[in-house]
Amino acid sequence: MSIGTFIIKNALRNKRRATLSILSVAVSLFLLVFLLVTLRELTLPPEDVGAALRVAVRNKISIANLLPAKQLPAIERVPGVEAVTPFTWYGGRYQNEEGMTFAQFAMDARKLRSVFGEAKMSQPEYEAFETIKDSCIIGKVTAEKYKLKIGDRLTLDSTVYPCTLTFRIVGIYAGTTDDRNMLFHQEYLDDACDNAGWVGMWWLRVSTPDDMPRVIAAVNKAFENTSAEVRAESERAFQLSFISMLGNVRVLIGSISSVVVFTLILVSASTMSMAVRERFRELAILKAIGFRRRELFAFILAESFGLAMAGLLLGAGGAWLLFTNGKIFAAICFGITAIIVGSSVMTIVRRHYSSGVTGLLVAALVARIGLWAFQNPTISKMTNGFFITFEVTPKIVGIAAIVAAGLGIISSIAPAFSVARMSVVSGLKTLD
Amino acid sequence: MPEPETIVAIRNLSKVYSQGEIQVTALNNISLDIARGEFLTLMGPSGSGKSTLLHIIAGIDRPTSGECRVQGVNVTQLNESELADWRNQNVGFVFQTFNLIPVLTAFENVELPLLLTKLSRKQRQQLVSTALEIVGLADRSHHLPRQLSGGQEQRVAIARALVTDPSLVVADEPTGNLDSHSAQEVLTVLQSLSRTANKTVIMVTHDPKAAAYGSRSIHLEKGELSN
Repeated sequence: MSIGTFIIKNALRNKRRATLSILSVAVSLFLLVFLLVTLRELTLPPEDVGAALRVAVRNKISIANLLPAKQLPAIERVPGVEAVTPFTWYGGRYQNEEGMTFAQFAMDARKLRSVFGEAKMSQPEYEAFETIKDSCIIGKVTAEKYKLKIGDRLTLDSTVYPCTLTFRIVGIYAGTTDDRNMLFHQEYLDDACDNAGWVGMWWLRVSTPDDMPRVIAAVNKAFENTSAEVRAESERAFQLSFISMLGNVRVLIGSISSVVVFTLILVSASTMSMAVRERFRELAILKAIGFRRRELFAFILAESFGLAMAGLLLGAGGAWLLFTNGKIFAAICFGITAIIVGSSVMTIVRRHYSSGVTGLLVAALVARIGLWAFQNPTISKMTNGFFITFEVTPKIVGIAAIVAAGLGIISSIAPAFSVARMSVVSGLKTLD
Repeated sequence: MPEPETIVAIRNLSKVYSQGEIQVTALNNISLDIARGEFLTLMGPSGSGKSTLLHIIAGIDRPTSGECRVQGVNVTQLNESELADWRNQNVGFVFQTFNLIPVLTAFENVELPLLLTKLSRKQRQQLVSTALEIVGLADRSHHLPRQLSGGQEQRVAIARALVTDPSLVVADEPTGNLDSHSAQEVLTVLQSLSRTANKTVIMVTHDPKAAAYGSRSIHLEKGELSN
């Protein structure tokens, strides 16, 4: 026997408690990872080169307030501005789908390549989009989701404008960080919905990143003290302010994460204290036969650390697997289900009915999770297209590992100190 | 005949417990010599201080005053860490409630004190097997404590006490939880340790029959030696 074997045997002496402890850490760390990835995805700065050159201009009062189309020449005259396009949210509902589907924006089709150059299509598709007034292009993700193809007709009821528009799909683009939107002609919207003279916002492209601060300041200044003051900002700043309209998401997710971590510490500390307290007598024996305080401290720390790390492996590893490869996750779930069912049946055969039935219920739950992961193997399917990517980055795994390590250390401190303070004689008097 | 070597020398040993404002004297000015190879039994009524004396000799408790030398080492002067090392190398413990680790087999329980040494795995295995053979449990080495009888558990505890080859074996009521047959087996093992292996065995007991296995018996009464 080695010291490691001794520690493992001690940690697993009460298998049910050890399993529940590991699962509580795993579920909490899974939740933590999920929240951190969600926060990252929502606030992710655009990484494409075009984003570094794009400026969003919206009504200073609110993004819901429209801007006059007559602002266009004034913006185009600002030195450093290369191209400008309106960008108006249509708010169309696809077929009878409820909730969020995909967003549609009206724009100047001739400015697509200059302002949103990363949206790649073939040359005939670009040309068709630029020349056909009722044409539209859609992102690859949306096309795949709704099985749409070039040449299809698409009719959308607007929830913003009192009109219904029918579009002809002339292109399917890919290459942006979010290939879900549909783009069509502002002119078509203006004519069909009697919207002439108003746009939702402006997107512009500046010549160089160095021009951006100057352009932002100039655009803001150009409409100061007018009936439609604007707020110009970089794409990243715009996205963050857009997210902030949902509420202070960062604070909200941060608060939930803190509560998760704090609860986790309480649960683990309580479990470790209980686990150590019930073998005070044994620890006193170890002291008597020559184990020193620091060795006992190391045993307790290793046990607590080991449980936390097992939880990390299950929680963060499970999250990574679920968000990157749902089918493997599903296969593992089915494997675990088979093991639980087997052992539960054996338990029932041995006439431990309540444990056996509990095991079967747990197996059903795991199987249900596996089935769901199998049917929705990608994050896009899991979130019905809300998230396209959901990357468990090394940094997020690192944060989860630090939390787990901290958990292992913090929850072992109190029991370790009580063992260190305990005299052998008083420990021996402890009742089993 | 040569004078037997003194292994434990106790001089003017006192132990006073403070319970709030009340002071309880557990040991009062005890002086005692114990020879190598002796099987000494400590007897006396509850609260007489016999277990306290045993704990001080074994280095798991400290006196209020006085001196306790074991093989020339004044154990009352050692710090916590030194005491732990000293106990590992010089003292084997046997308790009334066996105190085996329930998740470890008999073999692993006996091996436990050897984990603190620099012995190789093979050397440890050899020593553990020898210790289990001495107590007659070589065939039970892979049993968990719950699979053993009380007497067998106590014999495993004795093997654990012996495995580091200590000069001193201390036993606190080792037969208190055993039936008469098992008690006899355990006492026979302890006696043979003293007689054949020249170990010094100090045993606390209430039972005059158990005390009869010792080579010398001393009585404590209210913290003092009564004869």
